[in-house]
Amino acid sequence: MHRGRSSAHWKQRAEVRQVTMTAQEARLCGLLLREHFGEVVERVGTHLLRSGAQNLRTVANESGTPLDLVKKSLCVLMKHGACSFRAGRKGPGSPVEYRASCERILLILRYPRYIYTAKTLYGDTGELVVEELLQRGHMTMSSIVKTVADRLTHNMEEGRRVEYSEVVSTFSKLVETHFLQRCPPVSEAVPAASTAPMIPGSGPASSGPAASAPPTAESFPDCYTVPHVSLVGWGKRRRSGEDAAEEQGVSKKAKTDEQTHGDEGVYWQVNFERFHLHFRDQTIISAVASKLDQTSSEIVRTMLRMSEVTTPPSASCTQALSANEIFRSLPANYSISRPILDQYLTLLVDDPMEFVGKSGDSGGGMYVVNLHRALTNLARATLESVVQERFGSRSARIFRLLLRKHHLEQKQVEDFAMIPAKEAKDMLYTLLSENLVHLQEIPKTPDHAPSRTFYLYTVNQLATARMLLQHCYKTVANLIDRRLFETKESKRLLEKSQRIEAIMASLQASGAEPEQLTEVEEMITAPEKQQLESLRHHINKLDSAENQVDETVFLLKAYVNSTAKATQ
Amino acid sequence: MADVKVKKESDPADVAAIETRSKIKELCQQFPHGITDQVIQNDMPHLEAQQRAMVLNKLLSLGHLDLLKNSSGLLYRMKDAQSASKMKGSDNQEKLVYQIIEDAGNKGIWTRDIRFKCNLPLTEVNKILKNLESKKLIKAVKSVAASKKKVYMLYNVQPDRSVTGGAWYSDQDFESEFVEVLNQQCFKFLQSKAEVARDSKQSPMIQRNSSFATSHEVWKYICELGISKVDLSMEDIETILSTLIYDGKVEMTIIAAKEGTVGSVDGQMKLYRGVNPVIQPTGLVKTPCGLCPVFDECHEGGEISPSRCIYMTEWLNF
Repeated sequence: MHRGRSSAHWKQRAEVRQVTMTAQEARLCGLLLREHFGEVVERVGTHLLRSGAQNLRTVANESGTPLDLVKKSLCVLMKHGACSFRAGRKGPGSPVEYRASCERILLILRYPRYIYTAKTLYGDTGELVVEELLQRGHMTMSSIVKTVADRLTHNMEEGRRVEYSEVVSTFSKLVETHFLQRCPPVSEAVPAASTAPMIPGSGPASSGPAASAPPTAESFPDCYTVPHVSLVGWGKRRRSGEDAAEEQGVSKKAKTDEQTHGDEGVYWQVNFERFHLHFRDQTIISAVASKLDQTSSEIVRTMLRMSEVTTPPSASCTQALSANEIFRSLPANYSISRPILDQYLTLLVDDPMEFVGKSGDSGGGMYVVNLHRALTNLARATLESVVQERFGSRSARIFRLLLRKHHLEQKQVEDFAMIPAKEAKDMLYTLLSENLVHLQEIPKTPDHAPSRTFYLYTVNQLATARMLLQHCYKTVANLIDRRLFETKESKRLLEKSQRIEAIMASLQASGAEPEQLTEVEEMITAPEKQQLESLRHHINKLDSAENQVDETVFLLKAYVNSTAKATQ
Repeated sequence: MADVKVKKESDPADVAAIETRSKIKELCQQFPHGITDQVIQNDMPHLEAQQRAMVLNKLLSLGHLDLLKNSSGLLYRMKDAQSASKMKGSDNQEKLVYQIIEDAGNKGIWTRDIRFKCNLPLTEVNKILKNLESKKLIKAVKSVAASKKKVYMLYNVQPDRSVTGGAWYSDQDFESEFVEVLNQQCFKFLQSKAEVARDSKQSPMIQRNSSFATSHEVWKYICELGISKVDLSMEDIETILSTLIYDGKVEMTIIAAKEGTVGSVDGQMKLYRGVNPVIQPTGLVKTPCGLCPVFDECHEGGEISPSRCIYMTEWLNF
C-alpha cells in the first residue's frame, strides 16, 4: 500500500538530509545572513550554500554580484568561520574554491544564548567579551580587552574606570574553561586536493575528503594558551560631540602601538562546541531537577562538573566517578551525609530516565552520567510534548504507547490506550498523516492483500526528531519573516520616532526649555504612541519565541548528533 | 406430565420401574453434584443393567435428569425443577436449541453456530429462538467485538467480559468518560500519596518508597470512593493505571511479594507512583507555528504566509 511505501521513502529522505542541507535550513540561513551582514552577504552566502564549493569567478558570475563585493562578502563570512576555502579540485594551479557552512550560519540564531551564558558565568565583562567576539568573528586578545574595557568604562558613572588587567583576567578564565579558543592558523600551503583520489561521479557534498578538510582549532597544541600580553591602562570613556575627533586619534594611536602588545597574529574565536557542552549539561541538570528534586540535580551537576575536563566531548557517558569522590566534591553548603548521598545515587540509577548509571562497585560504587541516554530520553520527552500540545493528551497517550511497545496493531492501540475505536482510529490516522507515526505492513502472503496483512503502527524516534528539527527551522524562519514584516509595516512610524528622539537629545544637550521639549514630544500622537508600544511588544514576543524554539533546536540537534556518533 | 403417566401405568413391571425411578431421583437429590452409574449399582444391587438403562433413559427423556460427562465417566444429575418447569410445553426441537444455548454458557452462541449444531433449517431455528426469547428463557446480547453480531445465552446468565467488553462498556458503547474519570481519580490518589511522601521530610529512599501504592491500594480507594456502579476488579484498575503510564504521569515497578500478601498476583506486586514531568512544554509548541494546522501549506508570499498569519496576529495581540 502506498502508506508503507511513503514511509520508506520518507526515511530515505531523512538519510539524505543528514548530508546536505534542507530548503528550510537554506531559507533560515538566508534570513540570518541578511539580518547580521546585509543583503549582499546574504546573496553570496545563500548562493554558496546552494551550489556547494565554487571559485571566486563563478560565484561572482552566477550570483550576479560585482567581484569586489563578492570578495568583501567572502571576507566577512570567512571572518566568522561561516566559509572555508581550499585548493581547487581540478589539480594544482586551479582556482581556490569557497564553501559556506550551513551549520555555522545557523549558530547565529544562538548568539543571545551564548552571550547570556557568558554573563551568568563571568558577569558583565564576560558578556561583553563574548559579544564582541561574536560580532566580529575573530579578534586579537589585546583589541578585545581594549574594546571591552572602553565599553565598560563608558557605561559606568563619571570618575570610575575599568583596568585592562580586570578584563584580561576574565578573558583568561574564559580561555581556561575553553569557552574561547585560538583560531587555527591559516596554512599558506593548502594541501592540494589532487593528492586525495577523487571518486568519479560523486556529488559536491562528498568531495570533501578528510585530508583537505579545514583543520580544527583543537588540533593545535597552543589552542588554549593565553599569550603574554603587555597591556597596562584602563578603559577610555567615549564622549559625544567634540570628543569624537579626539577619540579617533586615540584609536589611531592604539593601532600604531599595537606592536607593543606582543600578540599579533594570535586571533581568538568563540568555542561553540564548549558552549554546547555547557548547554547540554544544563539541560540534563534542569531535567533532573524537575523529575526528581533539587538535591539530585545538585549531585548530577557535581558529577558533570568533575568530569568536564576528563570526558571527551563526543563520549556517550562521563568518566566513572566513585561515590567517595562525588561526596568530597559536593558544594560545601550542601550538607548531606554520606548514606543519604548513596540513597540519592541509588534513586538516580533506579529512575527510568537513566540519567545516571552505575558502572562498578569499587570506591563505594562507580557512577557515570549517561549523556547519550539522557539526550535520547529528553528528545523523546520533547517529541511527546509536541504531540501532546498539538494533538491533545489522548493522542499523546497513543504516541507514548507506541514509543513504549514499538509495534502495535490498531486494535491493540485501542485496548491499551482505552480509547474508543472510532476516536483512536482518527487520532492514529492524523498522527500518520503528520508523519509522527509510521505504518509497517507485514503481509502473510506474497500478494500483499490487505485482508491478509498485518498493519503495525510504530514510531521512529530518530526520523521524527529530524522532521521536527526541520519544523523548528521553518518556525524560526517564519518568526523572523513576521518580525521583518511588522517592522516594515511601521517603518514610517519608527523613522519618525527615531527622528524625534534625535531632536530631543540634541535639544536636551543644548539646554532647551521644558516647554520646547514637551512640544517636540507631542509630535508623536497618542494613537501613534500606542502603535509603537504594541509594535515593541510584538517584536519582543517574536524575539523571545525565536530563542525558545532554538532551545528545542539545540536539544533535537544534540540528540541527532549524539545518535550519529553512537551508531558510527 | 410425569404424574399423569404414573397414574396410567398399572403394569407390575412398570410399577417396579416407577419405584426405581423415584429411588434414583432421591439418590440424585442426595448428591446434588451428580451420581455415577456405580453409585446406582451400589444402592440397588438387584437391578439389572438393562433395566437400569431403561429407567435412566426414561428419566432423561422426561427431562428429569441431566447427563454429564467428566473425567471418571458419565454422571447423572438432577435437573433443577425451575428449568424443567420452564421447558414445560416445549417440543424436542426447542429443548435441543435450549440445550445448545445452555452449553454455550456465558460466552453466548451465534445463530449460525446454533444452526450447525442442531441441523435445523434457518427459518425453524429463528422461529424457535423467537419463541424462547418471548418466554424469557434466553436473551440476545450484542457483542462489543462486532456490533452486528448477536449472540444468544440463557436469560439469567451474566454475559462474559469478552462479549460485553467488561466494565468499560454499557450496552455496546465504550464508556470513555467513565474511563477518564477513573484515570483522573487514580492519578489524584497517587499524586496525593507522592505529595505526602515528599512533605514527610524523611530520607530520600523512604520518601520514594512511601510514594508507591500497590494496585490493590488503588483498587480499594476507588471502590470506597463509590464512583463506579459496576464492580471493578483489580485487573480493571491495573488497566486504568497503565493508561496513566502511557500518559507519562505514573511509573510502575514490579516487586517480589510473599505468597498470600494482599494484592500480590503470582508472587508479584505492582507498585505505582505519580511522577513529575521531565520537561516543560518545549519551545517549539509555545509558538503558533508549533501548533499550526496548516503549517505545511505556509510559505512566504503564498496564500498562507507568516506575514498574513491570523494565528500569529492573535498570538501577538494576546
